[in-house]
Amino acid sequence: MRSLHIKLGVLVAIVVFASWSTVPAARQASRTGQGPVLASMGPLAFGPDGTLFAADNQGATIYALDLGAQASGGAAGAKGLDAVDQKLAALLGTGARDITVTDLAVHPRTRNAYVSVMRGQGAGAAPALFRIDGTGAITNVPLQSLRFQKVELPNAPPANPSARQSPRAQVVTDMAFADGRLWVAGLSNEEFSSKLRAIPYPFASVDRGTSVEIYHGNHQQLETRSPVNAFVPYTLNNQPYLLAGYTCTPLVKFPISDLKPGGKVRGTTIGEFGAGNRVLDMIVYRKGGQEFLLTANNSRGVMKIPTNPFASATPITTPVQTETGGVPFEKITSMTGIEQLDKLDDANSIVIARTSTGGINLQVVPLP
Amino acid sequence: MNVSLLRVTAMASLLVIAAACGRSATSPSTPAITLVNPDSPAAYVAVTGLSADELAALSGDDLTAEQWPALLRVAVDANAPPMLGSYAVADGVLKFIPAFPLDQGRQYHVRFDPSRVPGADAATRPPLVAMVSRPALDAVPSTVVSRVYPTGDQVPENLLRMYVEFSGPMGRPSGIEHMQLLDDTGREITGAFLPLDYEFWSPDHTRFTAFLDPGRVKSGILPNEQMGRALSPGRRVTLVISSEWRDQHGLPLKEEFQRQLRVGPPDEQPLDTASWRIEAPAAARRDPLVVAFPEPLDHALLMRALGVTRDGASVEGDASVEAAETRWTFTPREPWRAGTYQVLALDILEDLAGNQIGRAFEVDNFDTVDKSPNPQDVQLPFTVRPVAGSR
Repeated sequence: MRSLHIKLGVLVAIVVFASWSTVPAARQASRTGQGPVLASMGPLAFGPDGTLFAADNQGATIYALDLGAQASGGAAGAKGLDAVDQKLAALLGTGARDITVTDLAVHPRTRNAYVSVMRGQGAGAAPALFRIDGTGAITNVPLQSLRFQKVELPNAPPANPSARQSPRAQVVTDMAFADGRLWVAGLSNEEFSSKLRAIPYPFASVDRGTSVEIYHGNHQQLETRSPVNAFVPYTLNNQPYLLAGYTCTPLVKFPISDLKPGGKVRGTTIGEFGAGNRVLDMIVYRKGGQEFLLTANNSRGVMKIPTNPFASATPITTPVQTETGGVPFEKITSMTGIEQLDKLDDANSIVIARTSTGGINLQVVPLP
Repeated sequence: MNVSLLRVTAMASLLVIAAACGRSATSPSTPAITLVNPDSPAAYVAVTGLSADELAALSGDDLTAEQWPALLRVAVDANAPPMLGSYAVADGVLKFIPAFPLDQGRQYHVRFDPSRVPGADAATRPPLVAMVSRPALDAVPSTVVSRVYPTGDQVPENLLRMYVEFSGPMGRPSGIEHMQLLDDTGREITGAFLPLDYEFWSPDHTRFTAFLDPGRVKSGILPNEQMGRALSPGRRVTLVISSEWRDQHGLPLKEEFQRQLRVGPPDEQPLDTASWRIEAPAAARRDPLVVAFPEPLDHALLMRALGVTRDGASVEGDASVEAAETRWTFTPREPWRAGTYQVLALDILEDLAGNQIGRAFEVDNFDTVDKSPNPQDVQLPFTVRPVAGSR
């Protein structure tokens, strides 16, 4: 162990570079059509116009899905459903143990909840998409009915293209739409780097994106390539920012406007929420005239963080001698087992919560 | 937990609980439920024995999405909602084609209600119920851990990742909960692995990547200050992979996997390609090129990040990694030609501790990082010597 007297480095460097020139043109092309064939599905994110963005990790592709008529017809809102895993599994003709709920997202207009599911195990598992409306009715959204655009995530070409390829895969950890672009955080199952990609939408207008490698000047001036687990767009002083939650668990803000190819950006760590933890999901909401960030964490539960101090928060530049530090937060002990979190409406969140018996419930929870 | 050794004959089971007794006035109707092609993922449910009138009524009448399952309902149990699928009248039968292949070994509850056929006489047409299933899989666990990288006996204290290879495809969930590191007293080293439950699988689900918690790997940051690194130099640790890890069929592994590792000092130095030893082959033959490293490098990245070029073009050939990831060999498809080739090393290459070419995993000053260039691809020239009779 090193001395605690070493000054904590609290800066995040974001080195923006355009590295796509090595990507074969065929892989850069975005495509459109009807009836997307996804190998896997999730995470999900909605654009403001109701476009549903779905990551296909197995296919290393991001889809923009036009829900069309599938977005209509349900009662507005979403109703909680106990044992939602059993209900979804039954529709898929299998058992709850054989499905994985990969994400939850709320349609910006209808406030219906959309849930992505993988049916089955192994490489042969198949994706499915469901809509849950205000009466609790579950409707399958047949993928073959949807129009789509897609863009493939570039994979660096191997040095030895003729040899057996290493089974590298990319894992999208979170997506969000902001400033006209889809932001995609991801990890590789090989090299340990955290990539943040900005993909202008519509995809058809772009043949490359900006790949942002995030260096995390975590504590004590040590640069790391720590992964971003979850992030949320946020406006500070009329400027668009991303608030990002890293593994073990700094909260970092950085301005979107500074993310330009070839440039370097320093983000600022404004919170430290404890070791052995990672952020699963984040939402921003207002209540009682005040704004809050709500984070669901894998080992530290749900945290409610007033955003008021964010603009002027002092970067953490001194050693954090306690478990947590930086901007203040409140633990929401009434919300437990949260695995997925989204904002349902101005008054409620909607969550996927793991029960003590291992099943999962879809719950509508008033914003704390 | 052991799974009983169960073999089920490759036949669809069909249990008729109640038989229809009605008859059409104009043509015989002896409906029966069956599973067609039970051995195939394309298996579907069929109602046979319908009268010509019934088939005609079903073909000609557009039933709604609610009416079809009221007529023929296939579900995981009697109380479950009807499962997703499509209906068709073809080949003289009524078909339910499931949206997803029926699970092998799972019993499906099928209910056909003849009274729901358009124009049918409800009074004399009781429902027909049957259980159908595809043959169960061979339930004998057979998947094993075939290899764990790094394969050497010694790993650095700041080891960053392990790759676990299996003999067959595994299930979707992350396997971190099934991996343990035990110290030399047999006690579990808690929090050794990164608490990410992403599916770090290869596309074929036969290789899983486990990252050791970089918070504990990296000097100075909070988890490291609190708990220290998971591995201690000079000590032995045992990697244990539980047989509870499930394969793609939901079966446990055939056996638990254990391997001892010796922990060496931390490796905090960037890769230095000047220390690599290139054993150049002779011309006119296909002898392998050998590149030897002074330390083990990451197996997966070795398979991606090294190649051979000549005059800027890739040389086709097959690569392999040997000697506990300290040697990379390359056998060209065509014989070597005399002259200068290059070993191409991409900047993504890392050693066991995540150090890259010219850049250590840990850089101890942010400003240094800020000013330093990103790692660059490296070209290492070597000369293929001419031999008598070759050019």
